[in-house]
Amino acid sequence: MRSRQAAWNPLTGWAPARADLSDASLVLYFGARRALADGARYRDLRAMFPSAHILGCSTGGQISDNNVSDDEIVAAVVKFDATKLRLHRLRVEDSLQSRSYGAALGQALKADDLAGVFVLSDGLNVNGSELVAGIIGAVGPNVPLTGGLAGDGSEFSETLVGGDCAPQSHAIVAIGFYGSAIKIGHGSAGGWDVFGPRRRVTRSRGNILFELDGEPALDLYERYLGEEDSKGLPGSALLFPIQVHDADRPDTAVVRTVLAVDNVARSMTFAGDVPEGWTAQLMRGSFDRLTDGAADAARQCRARLNLDEGDQQFSILVSCIGRRLLMGQRTTDEVEAASAELGADTLRVGFYSYGEISPHAKSGMCELHNQTMTITSFAEVNG
Amino acid sequence: MHRLVRQQIAKATADGRVDIDLFVDLVGRAYDDFDRDRRRTDRSMALMIDEIDMVNRNLEGLVGERTRELRAREADLRTQNLHFEAALSNMTQGLILHDSSGTMIVCNQRYLEMYGLSSDVAKPGCSFHDLIAHRKDTGSFKGDVDEHCSAILRKVARREITQTVLETAAGQFIQISNKPLADGGWVSTHEDITERRRTDERILHLAHYDLLTDLPNRAHFRGELERALERVQRGERIAILYIDIDEFKSVNDTLGHAVGDELLKVVGDRLRGCVGKNDVVARLGGDEFAVIQSDVRAPTDVSELLKRIYERIRAPLECGGHLLTTDASIGVALAPDDGTDLNELLKNADLAMYGAKADGRRTYRFFEPSMDARVKALRALEVDLRKAIVEGAFEIHYQPLIDLRSRAITGCEALLRWRHPEHGMIEPARFIPVAEDTGLINQLGEWALDAACAEAASWPDHIKIAVNVSPVQFRNQTLALKVAAALAASGLSANRLELEITEAVLIRDDEAALATLHELRRLGVRIALDDFGTGYSSLSYLQRFPFDKIKIDRSFIENIAASEASSSIVRAVVGIGAARNMTTTAEGVETEAQREILCKLGCTEMQGYLFSPAIPAAEIARLLIDSGEISTATPAKRRRTPRTA
Repeated sequence: MRSRQAAWNPLTGWAPARADLSDASLVLYFGARRALADGARYRDLRAMFPSAHILGCSTGGQISDNNVSDDEIVAAVVKFDATKLRLHRLRVEDSLQSRSYGAALGQALKADDLAGVFVLSDGLNVNGSELVAGIIGAVGPNVPLTGGLAGDGSEFSETLVGGDCAPQSHAIVAIGFYGSAIKIGHGSAGGWDVFGPRRRVTRSRGNILFELDGEPALDLYERYLGEEDSKGLPGSALLFPIQVHDADRPDTAVVRTVLAVDNVARSMTFAGDVPEGWTAQLMRGSFDRLTDGAADAARQCRARLNLDEGDQQFSILVSCIGRRLLMGQRTTDEVEAASAELGADTLRVGFYSYGEISPHAKSGMCELHNQTMTITSFAEVNG
Repeated sequence: MHRLVRQQIAKATADGRVDIDLFVDLVGRAYDDFDRDRRRTDRSMALMIDEIDMVNRNLEGLVGERTRELRAREADLRTQNLHFEAALSNMTQGLILHDSSGTMIVCNQRYLEMYGLSSDVAKPGCSFHDLIAHRKDTGSFKGDVDEHCSAILRKVARREITQTVLETAAGQFIQISNKPLADGGWVSTHEDITERRRTDERILHLAHYDLLTDLPNRAHFRGELERALERVQRGERIAILYIDIDEFKSVNDTLGHAVGDELLKVVGDRLRGCVGKNDVVARLGGDEFAVIQSDVRAPTDVSELLKRIYERIRAPLECGGHLLTTDASIGVALAPDDGTDLNELLKNADLAMYGAKADGRRTYRFFEPSMDARVKALRALEVDLRKAIVEGAFEIHYQPLIDLRSRAITGCEALLRWRHPEHGMIEPARFIPVAEDTGLINQLGEWALDAACAEAASWPDHIKIAVNVSPVQFRNQTLALKVAAALAASGLSANRLELEITEAVLIRDDEAALATLHELRRLGVRIALDDFGTGYSSLSYLQRFPFDKIKIDRSFIENIAASEASSSIVRAVVGIGAARNMTTTAEGVETEAQREILCKLGCTEMQGYLFSPAIPAAEIARLLIDSGEISTATPAKRRRTPRTA
């Protein structure tokens, strides 16, 4: 396996201008919605890598090595020696059908030698939890599933996803990795701390939360955000994600982040389900704790991959837009911390998302996460 | 250099030159980031503190409420426990509660007291086995500890309710009831039923035994007789004795029920002392007793028993301060000789007893088939007697008493006669025993006394009137009053009235009889001892009371001419009479020879057919005229017999 990094910015165009892996089998690219929307960058890549599966999506910021940028498009170009790939793409017609889309994707990729799945999904029109459940239902719980929901900075208006085509809204793309040579590692961690009293979800429907302890959820958020931050809703709600869990099963706790708010209904839409009767608790992050979380995710990933010194690997870092929102200029701290764990030789690209997909660090069940740093590493071993 | 500053410098550096404006902007924005974060943090912390404070207050309120609830519940429980403890400690039963493993949960004080157990051992937590072992050590359990424990546990496991009665070394009966509980344990109640048992036994005893004498009662007697008759079926012979205390009714009437009861107790005891260990003595009711004599092998077995009974019964006894003698009429029926049916045998013994009574009492009779008719006749006589009293069918005949030397009439004895519409004139010997048995003698005697006194009042002043007084009448404490009333009514002077009593009066009850005799004597009435020589004829009677006259029974006079023994007895009596200044009257003098002997022996008076039989009042008046005792005939006014109400 060989991999190279590429980047595009409006001043310099692609650098290097032509990657030396013209026979690459896979290209992953991430950029701001506006930079991707016209499809020109996809066409550049397609021209450069005619035989590769090309996947990309819009983001809330791109990660490349230790840097976080808003203007550049970053790309990883990979040539697998033995691993076969299969890509499947769907158009989202109805967000309530998220589970069946997942199931269709899973069915399309399902094979005995399926070693892993990486998925990129529309970040605003898909229930990530349902999508994940659909894919897992088709391919089985033992196939590692990772990926993320596309982002739109702090605008939350439209997200784009492309798979062997120009990026577009209402799209989901999944790629399967086949064979025994491919090794996939993954790790996910938040570093957020719960605070304040535990609250009960007293009214919700799917991923729409209406009330906590009988009080409109939006009222609570506005109170905590204060006047200034409330103006930034729904993006500013990312500063206070909530952790939810089945009251009887605290070990299933997952973090949920806000995708939209409804000022009339005083409801909030989260990136995953918030079932009625579950326990919810507000979370808050500090620079240091979030940075530690990113390092933890990298450690989990490395430990799972368990490579020998010098083995080639590339990693995709999907981190939550909420983390970036909170950390501001200090966002690079978490990328540096993760990079330090993954090693300077590892090719590292990634993006700030509206949701991360990865198996749960404790339960092992693949889930949609929010407010985490989720890292997936790929390597090929001989034999 | 701070990492962020380094990054900011790097970001602001292009082509080796630091863009100061950009750098300052980056630094400024970093400060803004920090400020925002700090404000956010402060704000969220303050809100959180408020929220947590509210939650705390709610929790405190909740805890306070729950604490109050718990305290109230605790107080309820304490009260309940007090009630429970009070109930437990005031139970008359011992109670102990075990859990499913047999460990004691609770026991009450009564349980400990019942068995004298130590509260150091028998306390909650103590195992069932240790408890029983402790009871064994302290003597309230006799069996095998292991065996007992496993048996109880087995039964509890089978959810069986068990009830046992235990007899302690101290003779108590404890009823133990083990009742399994839903949780696998059991509750054991221990009740001292000693008193209940004794009461039950007592009730059972009372149902079968007579309260007064503690002898088997009629019902029990019949049961015993049934069993005896089963033995008769197998060849045994038995005797049934019906015993009736003679003149018991008059004892009751005159001396009171307390004395009567005492008499019956003594009789019962005495009868018990007479019989063999396989024989049964019972009190059938009133003054009736019965004996079943088992295993009668010879006729003498029965007669010996009768002899023993009479010896014992006739011995004087002291009852309630009175020295009494008693006697009995006994009827005997034998099985199988006189029948094998229970009721028939009882009836036959009863008939035999009536036979004995009819033959003058104080004797026994074996059943004879003819007795039935005789008893029926006797019963008929009683009915007639009652009717006769109502209808005034009695009259008094008078037999003169003659001075042996002057041959002058000194007085007359009043003798009761019953003119029966069918049977003609009936002798006193036939109806007096019936009148005495039924108590009718009191009415009859009173009437006779009144009538005789009235009749005598018409006679010359030196002619006395002798009236017989039955022992039954004599025991009536108002006798002296009645005599005084009769004298007053008739105008007869007391010294002309002579009351004749038999020695039975004194045999019965010395003191009371003596008191009455003295009372009569104080009235001026003369007292004669009648039929002397027929009964015990104890000379001590003569010492006890200074009789005015002794009447020598006709049986001595009958043979006086032929028998030396008779004449010597008469001589002795006459001697005593002379010595004590008592008149001696010979009864039943029928021949001149007898008169002459009596005259020679120094006897004072005679009475008998030689001079005159008893004759009606009119005839006696004529006789008095004829003999010159009365110069002009003044026939006595006939008096009517009394009517009962």
